[in-house]
Amino acid sequence: MTALPAMHSPDSGWSREFIGTITATEPVMGDSMLITFTAPQGLVRSARSGQFVEILGRTKWSTDPLLRRPYSVYSADIDRAELTVLVRPYGRGSGWLVEQPVEATVDVLGPLGNTFTVNPKTQNLLLVAGGVGAAPLRMLAAEAITAGQNVTYLLGAMSAPGLLDADLLPAEVEYVVATNDGTAGHQGFVTDLIPQYLEWADQVFSCGPEPMFRSLRREVLANRFADKPPVQLSVERTMACGVGACLGCVVETKHGMKTSCLEGPVFDMDELVWQ
Amino acid sequence: MTDTSTTTWQPDLSVDLAPHNPRELVLRNPVIPASGCFGYGLEYAGIVDVQRLGAFVSKGITPESRSGNPMPRITETPSGMLNAIGLQNPGIKGMIRKYPPIWETWDVPAIVNISAETVEDFAMMARRLDDVPGVAAIEVNISCPNIHAGGFCFGWDPVMSADVTKTVREATTLPVIVKLSPGAVDIIEIAQAVEGAGADAISLINTLVGMAIDTRTRKPILANHTGGLSGPAVRPVAVRMVYQVTQAVGIPVVGLGGIAKLNDALEFLMAGASAIQVGTAIFAEPGILGRLIDDLAAWMHSNRISSLAQIVGSANPRFKGISARTDDLLTEMLQS
Repeated sequence: MTALPAMHSPDSGWSREFIGTITATEPVMGDSMLITFTAPQGLVRSARSGQFVEILGRTKWSTDPLLRRPYSVYSADIDRAELTVLVRPYGRGSGWLVEQPVEATVDVLGPLGNTFTVNPKTQNLLLVAGGVGAAPLRMLAAEAITAGQNVTYLLGAMSAPGLLDADLLPAEVEYVVATNDGTAGHQGFVTDLIPQYLEWADQVFSCGPEPMFRSLRREVLANRFADKPPVQLSVERTMACGVGACLGCVVETKHGMKTSCLEGPVFDMDELVWQ
Repeated sequence: MTDTSTTTWQPDLSVDLAPHNPRELVLRNPVIPASGCFGYGLEYAGIVDVQRLGAFVSKGITPESRSGNPMPRITETPSGMLNAIGLQNPGIKGMIRKYPPIWETWDVPAIVNISAETVEDFAMMARRLDDVPGVAAIEVNISCPNIHAGGFCFGWDPVMSADVTKTVREATTLPVIVKLSPGAVDIIEIAQAVEGAGADAISLINTLVGMAIDTRTRKPILANHTGGLSGPAVRPVAVRMVYQVTQAVGIPVVGLGGIAKLNDALEFLMAGASAIQVGTAIFAEPGILGRLIDDLAAWMHSNRISSLAQIVGSANPRFKGISARTDDLLTEMLQS
């Protein structure tokens, strides 16, 4: 029998569809919300940076909006059996979710998808975040610091209030910011900051909007040698099923179409086909 | 076993979707994930107990592998979604190599959905599937363009629909389910043509063609411009068509279109469907498949209904299919 994808092996005995109870909400980045909810401990223990959960943005009595919304895992607290996601209330599903109070329940599927992969020899990680892309990279930063690695975390926003507060990142992380209006850090794009770190970085990890990826790729290609450092990107696509069944969220790679929900959301930059 | 109290009996949810075919298609219950919404059955292993299902239908398979349409392929609509995946699949050869060896070890019938642009290609695929262990039946998607008829959809024309059905029928002894397109001008005419051409069963409805526009860019949202509309938004159309078709044909009809809850499934069964398929709702709630089986059994139990046949067509006075509404033996037994 063909081996099942690792995430689908009946490993933990936990169903990946569960009802969580919101235990905390915290406004961040101006208009967004950190939402913490309970989850089966086995699933919390299995969660890794880059993975996401799909949350139903409605009550079970409604059929609208129909589809779940994907949110990257921001943090996983094994002892408290809780997951935290970062939600920007753009659209009907996320708009409903940020209005849910503490003690409300949420219908969750996950964690889903692949993870960022830190090579065994890597010591220095450069993380480049834009918008809600801050979430999976926050998780990666925490994992890397725990593993004794060095992390530089670059985050860009339109203006200072759109940035993540520094105390939400592990103290050991070097946190460097850019704002379009210059109200905090470098005035300009976060990708302007990349070249000065490329020699230091063993690996680059990024999550953010598509134009940011294009600038990042330009900066990296112009400044690196012999494909080093390698770059991993967590891509965002409209998703339906989240488990590789509907093929609605594919990305074109050098090895054909791949699902961003099951074979992604993390891809090697060099594997993706760029138009 | 002396206890005959009402709590010990279980309603019979089984159904044969190919009663006139020696190879039959017996399902332990009438709940089937629809084509395109359940991958090849493996994707939901670990999330859904696949072995409990009545059957499942594979993604649409084509003669050659296809990489599908460009992105975006999906967009949400009111209580529904539009999709234009473009039949991304490994092709009939790749599919047969990859999945049936796994399905063969499973306890649930696997139905392979096939699509083609010529009658000959439909026949070729049916022939290849005929003796593949692990394949229980074929669902024929006639909602695709016929390249020999200027791209006119097979399923919109009774002659072309019958042509495909007859050719597939002659190419295989497997149970053949023909999936109808709601775009047909006269769905009854198509259903009768397909029955006359030898289909064992009919499934309906496929998606309705729709479009959504991004008012910011002033372009259709989907790269393919149009897409198939599915989800609860289409349910009333589907229920009406099942009601009409089961008045006109005697073969089993599998109803689908926006089923997301027990009450939705009951609507289709009462309209005349012998079984139901669940599609888009799986994306939102994979657990719906198991819940529908449990809820249907519980509903039948609490309503003292012993077999599925007692429900099928019960809201349809001119229902033509095989009915067992007189089968009240268990009810009588329970009352005595």
